[in-house]
Amino acid sequence: MTDSQRAAPGQLQADLAALAGAIERMGGELALGEEPSNFVAALDAGAPRD
Amino acid sequence: MTDLTLGELASAIAARKVSALEATDACLERIARLDRRLRAFITLDADGARARARALDADLAGGRRRGPLHGVPLAYKDLCHVPGLPTSCGTRTPEYFTGAVECTAVARLTAAGAITLGKLNMTELALGPFGDNPHHGDVDNPWKAGHVSGGSSSGSGTAVAAGLAFGALGSDTGGSIRLPAACCGIVGLKPTYGRVSRAGAMPLSWSLDHLGPMTRSVRDAALMLEIVAGHDSRDATSSPRAVGPLVAALEAPVRGVRVALPENYYFDGVTPEVRAAVEHAARTLASLGADVRTLRLPDPAPMIDVCNILARSESSTIHARVARERPHELGPAVRARLEVGFHISAHDYLQAARLRARLTRAFVDEVFGEVDAILAPTIPEPAPALATVTAPPVEEIVRRMGRFSRLTRPFNGLGLPVLAVPAGFASDGRPLGLQIVGRPFDEASVLRLGHAWEHAADWRTRRPSL
Repeated sequence: MTDSQRAAPGQLQADLAALAGAIERMGGELALGEEPSNFVAALDAGAPRD
Repeated sequence: MTDLTLGELASAIAARKVSALEATDACLERIARLDRRLRAFITLDADGARARARALDADLAGGRRRGPLHGVPLAYKDLCHVPGLPTSCGTRTPEYFTGAVECTAVARLTAAGAITLGKLNMTELALGPFGDNPHHGDVDNPWKAGHVSGGSSSGSGTAVAAGLAFGALGSDTGGSIRLPAACCGIVGLKPTYGRVSRAGAMPLSWSLDHLGPMTRSVRDAALMLEIVAGHDSRDATSSPRAVGPLVAALEAPVRGVRVALPENYYFDGVTPEVRAAVEHAARTLASLGADVRTLRLPDPAPMIDVCNILARSESSTIHARVARERPHELGPAVRARLEVGFHISAHDYLQAARLRARLTRAFVDEVFGEVDAILAPTIPEPAPALATVTAPPVEEIVRRMGRFSRLTRPFNGLGLPVLAVPAGFASDGRPLGLQIVGRPFDEASVLRLGHAWEHAADWRTRRPSL
């Protein structure tokens, strides 16, 4: 592999920092009772009435 | 014969106008003639397909029809485990995905009478939207040589568009059914999260993976989805919700269906031809009685960040062994994407999963209180030249990947059903793509809208010159 094909370490750090920063900013808005499984509940609640 | 849709072929076989063996041989002849250039297949099972075709012809002669796909040759993305065939997942290891249970979706299609032609090429580990593969060859675009076929279900898109198979299965974690469907001018359906079992298919991201049909018509997609959808106890995320009739619902009028054209994000940076094609589809649906309006959608940027956290954490966990023990076997862009996931904290991963729930609930409440469906472009431009988008450096390749899939990824996070359907052609003949997004578990509505658009448009019977 050539140097031009290898991801730069600095780029990895920048990607990680960007993702962590985004989650940090949004996470403050979460209600205490919010949990991952509420995603499936949201889909079920939004489905057409049978 | 290979110009027929899947449904037309099934009817012809049932009426004994054509045999399953004739249909299979027609595909095999076309594969032999064209696949050296297209590279859609990784594994071809010609002997197995012919033997199965002969058995199905004998069944029909004896008055036994296995199901609605009796005698129809299909092919499957090479991450679906099919007993007796290797599953490379696009890696250089033929048996990369081993010890797995049979892919439930394939088993259901087989039980309905389908014939397995073989396993289809894909981007390595399903990580990438362009259809390039360093081990099995880059899948070519059947409409324009040297151009992107779309990924990661690249072989599925090209095989169906080129008439090498009558339908295929693809998987979609960030657009991997819809992007090749758009690049290759075919129909692809990413169903609602939980609608189609992923059991027996290589996982890339448990939270975002979907399996779905890739076909030459909306009716074919509805037919395949009716067969593969529904609860499967072998997939813990599989929904128990009943699957209603989909083919029978296609002809219902679209009059009064509320359809939104997004005011924000989805037309930013798209080419004028793409924008014009989607707006033309909207006007066509309006002429059929749909209530088309513009609507500002919730900003998709937060959901894209959430998807990046979930996808990178989960894919790095799933594929940690190859990434850590044999990284030299992976392409540089794939390795770079996996590497990020090793450094994401458990805190950020769980926050992302919680945010996904909140963002999805807000989107569903806000948008589907106003409309029944959304129209948006699938790809921001017609399939670009492959050499251009895969040129180093690797960080630029990763950025191009993100830009090319920016219109499809939000809907994986939201888990909504999305139909990718052709929107016409650019002036140089490359296909343009439209996505129709529906409320959760309302595949029937997106299929109905897609069917109405498809039949009002004039490109339905156009095929690539090969």
